[in-house]
Amino acid sequence: MGFKNIVVAVDGSEASQEALNYAVELARQSKCALTGLFIIDGGWPDYIGNDWQSSKAARQGFLDYIFKEQEEQADAARKQFETATTGMETVFSLLGGDPTEEMLKIANAASTDIFVLSRRVFQVSGRPSLKSLAKTLAQKATRPLLLLA
Amino acid sequence: MNGDVGFFRKLPSALPGLALIVLTMVVIRNWIEPWMTTAVIFGTKGWLVKVTHLNYILLGIIMGMLYRNVVFGGKMPDVLSDGFKLSRLMIKTGIILLGSLYTFNAIVQLGSMAIFLIGGFVILTIIMVLWFGTLLGLDRSMIGVMANALSICGVTAAVATSPGVEAKASHVAYAIATILGFGILTMFISPFIGHALELTDLQYGAWIGTGILNSGQVLAAALAFNPNVAPGTAVSVAEIWNIMRVISIPFAVFAVTVWYWAGKTESGEGGKRKGLGTLLVEKFPVFVLGFLGMVFLTSMGAFGDVGLKGGPAASETIKMMRLWMTWIFGFGLVGLGGYIDFKELRQAGGAPLKLGLIVGVTKYVLALVVVFLIKDYLVAI
Repeated sequence: MGFKNIVVAVDGSEASQEALNYAVELARQSKCALTGLFIIDGGWPDYIGNDWQSSKAARQGFLDYIFKEQEEQADAARKQFETATTGMETVFSLLGGDPTEEMLKIANAASTDIFVLSRRVFQVSGRPSLKSLAKTLAQKATRPLLLLA
Repeated sequence: MNGDVGFFRKLPSALPGLALIVLTMVVIRNWIEPWMTTAVIFGTKGWLVKVTHLNYILLGIIMGMLYRNVVFGGKMPDVLSDGFKLSRLMIKTGIILLGSLYTFNAIVQLGSMAIFLIGGFVILTIIMVLWFGTLLGLDRSMIGVMANALSICGVTAAVATSPGVEAKASHVAYAIATILGFGILTMFISPFIGHALELTDLQYGAWIGTGILNSGQVLAAALAFNPNVAPGTAVSVAEIWNIMRVISIPFAVFAVTVWYWAGKTESGEGGKRKGLGTLLVEKFPVFVLGFLGMVFLTSMGAFGDVGLKGGPAASETIKMMRLWMTWIFGFGLVGLGGYIDFKELRQAGGAPLKLGLIVGVTKYVLALVVVFLIKDYLVAI
């Protein structure tokens, strides 16, 4: 099967490195485009129940703090992706929103020939529900999906 | 990442969600609750109320939970989302209005015992978490977050502590899931235990105000026990206890941050630690100021007689405000139910859950024992 576009989820962790290596190999063999993907989790304000009556900076201060941590992870993911794909023509895509929803959109997009990811991706900084991200994708993805341990 | 929800800016997009919340509470209070008091089940008239102690508060929370987790499959639709977010403000707005139940004299009477109990429990819980978390081999940041989450006020304390102890997002996420899961359980079982033990409103309010972790859940558990809002009812006692606990957030954040950095002196990064003055400004809960403002106005007689024990009956204004409060709390708690996400709670686990359950249950039971021991010293208003 010839691929035109392979998408791989990266988060800078060891788990995503394995999936990335696999995706790179697959892209080289298929001579196709490779897109790296990182999602900044936008579900935190709802998760902590932010509102202005709590205190001046307790919750918003926390959201800023978490956002900074996620930006650092996005940088780590980008570096991980760029290092693994040196010499290749690639795109790194940084999205925001609910990781499960955003990844499901990618996994169902006509432009995605195969979506490669680790079962443990995005758990390094994620909310508890992200533990079931891989399971949800496996159940609902309409395009080919390659899940690695 | 901005999670701010300015009321007037969000109001138009919040209308559909708010409409559903209001409709839900109107149906519950006007049709479901009256039906429950007359329905004959298992040969007993009003069995649902007498045995299950279901009232509009618990029904509202259950409906909110059903909307999110069953009707909408785990996520609020975008069209309803802003309305449910805004409903959170109603709980704290209701607590501000609760200030009209007290004069400063009444606060001093109730609050002196509350300071003693709450202060003791906050310190004891922090020590217990620091010790037990270390024993379980938890990350130092995680222990810091759990210490304040379990000792003071759930989510607010967890998020207020996390930057100071360099907690990772996953630490906070698991701490929140653990305390919310435990809180939901206690919110539903406490009214049963309270009725089974035939606790008075004063004893029950003091117990849950000390033993339950989260402001919204304290409110729900108090109103589930006795839905009346008046001086001397469970909610009037529990909220004083709760507010005493909430006020201690900046102090506890400071103490736990000092503990965290004391164990990190070798890294020389202590410069990130904030002073107590800065923490007081940044972390002091705004709604407590509103509550105290309302107590001040009430003490000045702005709304007429409060209706304290042994005094003149409550004025018509006060009675009307109390009626509003029952509705505002009802709306707020449907919204609270709508933010209980089974998906998140189901995935919580591991050492944080173990720590949370052990310390949470110990605190919950110990608070009940202490309330029994000091029941003769508790002062009614």
